[in-house]
Amino acid sequence: MKKTNTILLSIAALFALSGCNDTPSSPEAKKYTKTSEEVYQQSCVKCHGKNGEGITEKKSPALNDRQAGELELDLFDVKNGGTNQSSGTDHDIMEHNMQKLMAKGYDYDPKAMAEYIEKSFFNKEVPKEEVAEVTPEAVPVVAEPAVEAVTAVTEVTPVVATEEVTPTPEVTPVAE
Amino acid sequence: MLKEGMELIDAHFKDEGISRRDAIKMFGASGAAMLMASGATTEAKASSAVKAKILIVGGGLAGMSTAARFANSLDNPDITVLEPAEHSTSYQPGQTLVGAGVWKNEDTQYNRDDFVPEGVTLIKEKAVEFDPDNNTVKTSGGKTLKYDYLVIAAGLKLDFSKIEGLGITESITSRGDDSAVRKVIGQNGIASIYFANGATDTWTQMQKFIADAKSGKKVKGLFTHPNTPIKCGGAPKKIMYLTDARLREAGARENAELMFLPNGSKMFGVKEYHDAIVNQFEARDMKWNYRHNLVGVDPIKKVATFSRHWKEKGDWDEDLEEYSIVPRSEKVEKEFDFLHITPPMRAAEEIANSPVGSSKGWVPVNKETLQHVKFPNVFALGDIAAVPMGKTGGSARKQYKVVVENVISMMEGKELVSKYAGYTVCPLITSIGTVMLAEFNWTKKPTPSFPLDPTQERWIWWLLKVYALKPMTQYGMLSGRA
Repeated sequence: MKKTNTILLSIAALFALSGCNDTPSSPEAKKYTKTSEEVYQQSCVKCHGKNGEGITEKKSPALNDRQAGELELDLFDVKNGGTNQSSGTDHDIMEHNMQKLMAKGYDYDPKAMAEYIEKSFFNKEVPKEEVAEVTPEAVPVVAEPAVEAVTAVTEVTPVVATEEVTPTPEVTPVAE
Repeated sequence: MLKEGMELIDAHFKDEGISRRDAIKMFGASGAAMLMASGATTEAKASSAVKAKILIVGGGLAGMSTAARFANSLDNPDITVLEPAEHSTSYQPGQTLVGAGVWKNEDTQYNRDDFVPEGVTLIKEKAVEFDPDNNTVKTSGGKTLKYDYLVIAAGLKLDFSKIEGLGITESITSRGDDSAVRKVIGQNGIASIYFANGATDTWTQMQKFIADAKSGKKVKGLFTHPNTPIKCGGAPKKIMYLTDARLREAGARENAELMFLPNGSKMFGVKEYHDAIVNQFEARDMKWNYRHNLVGVDPIKKVATFSRHWKEKGDWDEDLEEYSIVPRSEKVEKEFDFLHITPPMRAAEEIANSPVGSSKGWVPVNKETLQHVKFPNVFALGDIAAVPMGKTGGSARKQYKVVVENVISMMEGKELVSKYAGYTVCPLITSIGTVMLAEFNWTKKPTPSFPLDPTQERWIWWLLKVYALKPMTQYGMLSGRA
């Protein structure tokens, strides 16, 4: 019985002594070369619009319909390829694009970006002439699937293959 | 080495005539005492004399711990918990162990009424309507409750109805009425540890699967992971590791093929843990195939249908200055003898579609302060909160203190200073006797609480998982102290 107590107590001691430290072991604050505004105005604007209204033709969704907290979760998902171990992402296309954009220097802190978008676009009226500009009559160009699919498979293999094994590059949403 | 240590301890308990259940109890007492003595518990700040009506929706682990901490922290508590289910408060992490025959259902079940803290009013009804502009909630019994502060901790629903062919139309919770689901899940080799009775049935189905393998039949086991956020992201893999362990124990591993089929394209969001898991899978000859989302099951023919999806190169995109990407998918069928389903999960409709919900259903909160993005006197925590990576008991254990501290700060007219940093923990069971304790946060780096390599499987974490975490939850968290 004495040994039992020793075992149990030593386990308890180990767990108890460790405490439960909230602070990450090495919070390396990530530096971003551009501000959220610069990233938005130089890159995001091309597809998500001057007012965050989205561009139907490009199938890019509006960003001006959500507040920061909600938006941040989506941006987190985009940058990390998911918010869960193996669930995958809700933003298959943007996850891919984001990796390319980050490589080009358009990286951002999801929290700061979400706040910038809310502050700049949420509940703001979109000027009329701009609405007209972004909803053209033209049907989006759809690639011919059969042919495209066949040729694409060989071309794109490296991309898919690396994605299988390469976890998303480090993303550190700190910067406060 | 690991095995030896484990066997020594188990053998020792046996010699002493101590069952695993007794050990849990003994550990509970000593563990709780140690927790208190070591100062690992944190009393809420000096008690506050401010007064306000606090309404908590949901009496699971998150809701009850929040209620207890409020009760400990306020001189004049006015706290109401809305919870219709008798067994709402349970030890869900134990369901994995039930599924593998290590624990019994009663080891994971608590009675809600045993955990209602003193001074807290329990209403055994459900919240059905939210009017946050007027600070009221309507209940299933027709009451209209007024609040000053609302805390939403309503958990999530398991939605098997999204999978075709099962004949299930209702969503369920992990405990409570599961009759709609249990007539299909838990039969014919189909199992799910995500609801309590399902965990019991998983062990029955797993034993049949193992018996078939032992008789010389070549059998196939499939383990799914859906395209929604899920609670306990590791459980779909844990039950696979345990199936592997039970097959080996029976000497029948070579007759079984085990395959993990997740919707996503990695094992874990943290590279270090992802790599460790891949190595563990390879060492055990456990197979995997990414980008497979379970969409249908034929329970009679024992065929599962998946949406397999991939990306192809599209046209040149001038704005992106890259080729665009075109998503493709096709349906693929796979035969099985044993199918472990991790169902799609979502917030309850009455909350998802209410003003406090969101397009995705989860309650949108500032992920650090846990305050609602639209209504400052509303907070959310636990599975229903729209927080990345957060749907575990380990996250709730950090979150409930943040919520209580921030609500009290608000009551006192102060800034919200308490912040959740995204901590979560996944004690990944890798065999009977070993666990990899994967702790991490939003930095996506391992954040170990112990000075040990966190990517190693260790028997000591098995002891933590099997003996210590439940009493720590019961005595520490549900009392609002740790």
